[in-house]
Amino acid sequence: MIEATGLTKRYGDKTAVDGLTFTVRPGRVTGFLGPNGAGKSTTMRMIVGLDRPTGGTVTVNGKPYAQHRAPLGEVGTLLEAKAVHTGRSARSHLLAQATTHGIDPRRVDEVIEATGLASVAKKRAGTFSLGMGQRLGIASALLGDPQTLILDEPVNGLDPEGVLWVRHLLRGLAAEGRTVFLSSHLMSEMALTADHLIVVGRGRLVADAPVQEIVARASSTTVRVRTPSAAELEAVLARQPGTGVTSVAHDLIEVTGSSAPQIAAVAAHAGLVLHELTPVQSSLEDAYMQLTASEVEYRSTTADTPAPDATVLARPAGSTRPTSGAHR
Amino acid sequence: MTALVVPGAAAPARRRVTVHPSTFPRLVAAEWVKLRSLRSTWWTLVLGALVVPAFAASRMSSISAVPEAVGSPYLVGAVYVTSGVALAQLVFCTLGVLSVAGEYGTGQIRSTLAAAPTRVPALAAKLLVAVLAVMAASLVAVLAAWAASAPWFEATGMSVDLTRGQDLRIVLGVPLYLGAVTALAFGIGAIVRSSAAGIAAVLGLLLVVENALASIPWTPIQTLAAHLPASAGSRLLQADEVGSVITVSSTTDLTPWQGYGVLLAWVAAVLVVAGVLLRRRDA
Repeated sequence: MIEATGLTKRYGDKTAVDGLTFTVRPGRVTGFLGPNGAGKSTTMRMIVGLDRPTGGTVTVNGKPYAQHRAPLGEVGTLLEAKAVHTGRSARSHLLAQATTHGIDPRRVDEVIEATGLASVAKKRAGTFSLGMGQRLGIASALLGDPQTLILDEPVNGLDPEGVLWVRHLLRGLAAEGRTVFLSSHLMSEMALTADHLIVVGRGRLVADAPVQEIVARASSTTVRVRTPSAAELEAVLARQPGTGVTSVAHDLIEVTGSSAPQIAAVAAHAGLVLHELTPVQSSLEDAYMQLTASEVEYRSTTADTPAPDATVLARPAGSTRPTSGAHR
Repeated sequence: MTALVVPGAAAPARRRVTVHPSTFPRLVAAEWVKLRSLRSTWWTLVLGALVVPAFAASRMSSISAVPEAVGSPYLVGAVYVTSGVALAQLVFCTLGVLSVAGEYGTGQIRSTLAAAPTRVPALAAKLLVAVLAVMAASLVAVLAAWAASAPWFEATGMSVDLTRGQDLRIVLGVPLYLGAVTALAFGIGAIVRSSAAGIAAVLGLLLVVENALASIPWTPIQTLAAHLPASAGSRLLQADEVGSVITVSSTTDLTPWQGYGVLLAWVAAVLVVAGVLLRRRDA
């Protein structure tokens, strides 16, 4: 359980985290989403006491992190930046961490085995690839068998097998009743792993809801209509209050703020023929982009749409979702 | 926002691993694991321990007779045996800086502080381990230097006799002095949080600042120079009959133990600043 109340962090006159209040509950995987510079990493660092909040409080398992007498047994942490001396072997690093809490060295070998590091455990961490470094960070987080896991971009740099492994691992830990809090830019991965999402933009809370609800909220309003009388239908729909129409092609429009039955009724009333009438189901990525469109800190200028571009968000390869109003 | 669907208050997962509080002895044990698992530790400890006997032997071999002015030649035996300390301190100070600043350079400090979020005990444990390792290496070094010098004792009339108070003070002063300057370097490393800047600051202080001030022939500056860390602390390694082999500073009213006390005061001041900054700054 992680409880943040009014959590704020300022660096000079720049506010990185601005009054965040949220609760991360046990028994489910909670995703932490936001564009670059939204304050995710800073928030995670404040949770484990590495950064001191400018205002507000945050507790883990009921206490501020620093008040736990055996913090590694309460909270396992993987922070985005590497947190390992490059000159030390993976095993020595884990052994040192274990020694601080009197954890049996056999547990060190256990997590090395579990994270697939056995063949490189004696190599210096400085020689590790990004993926190996992530595995070492995850091994370190699992060392004390903690109730709560805080993972910043855990699948960053992992191969597909590793991504799958992390997904199963986190879902398994949540199913055991643990608190799992992870940040990621990979929307597709988040959709598969997380049950609940906390979305931030510019340090502020944008959404805090189950994944399905966030997707549903964003997808409820786009309908794709194919008709030989696109211009006429557009003119008719434009008179409906709250309805927005976007022309996609000479015979294709996208309608927001109106449902498929309503559009069909309007078309029938006007005597217009429809060739296609499709409610468009948005992906989590669309939902996320809609939520954060106004909150992007570092917007790419090459974007040809009003939505944040692909350099801000890693797009899932091979997304087959139909085009929606969010970006085209 | 609509109501959240929260799984019923999940029972805490069953513990598969026994975890104990991160007490100070455990932090010390962990810091020892960390110190011994780095190659740089062994390089610096061995190098620092080797230069002392190497210097002693080379000095001894270059002396055919002790000048009459010194009086009894046996009085300077311990000074020549320990002359390599001037170089060894630079090596051990590098170790002191690296043991803490290296954690900032690599990000290790985040793991260290995650395991010991009250922070200061982690710094104290790390300091203790680094200083004890240097003191152990220094003791080995001075004993090796003694053995390496022995072939020349008879010809020059020099000797080291631990039943003489001054010889005992100088021989045991080697680990005491080197341990203290390592702690000073450690504190500076913890303040600047960068290996390069820390080593530059420490070597600059020991090699440049102290010697430059000591060579200015104006009494107030001479007095100040005599109270700088290495100049004051190295009084512990001086025979009253000959000057320091570590710094050029020679004018001092400090007794050996007063001088060492001044060094310890510098160490304490630097460590207090390091501890306060560690608690205040974001890691």
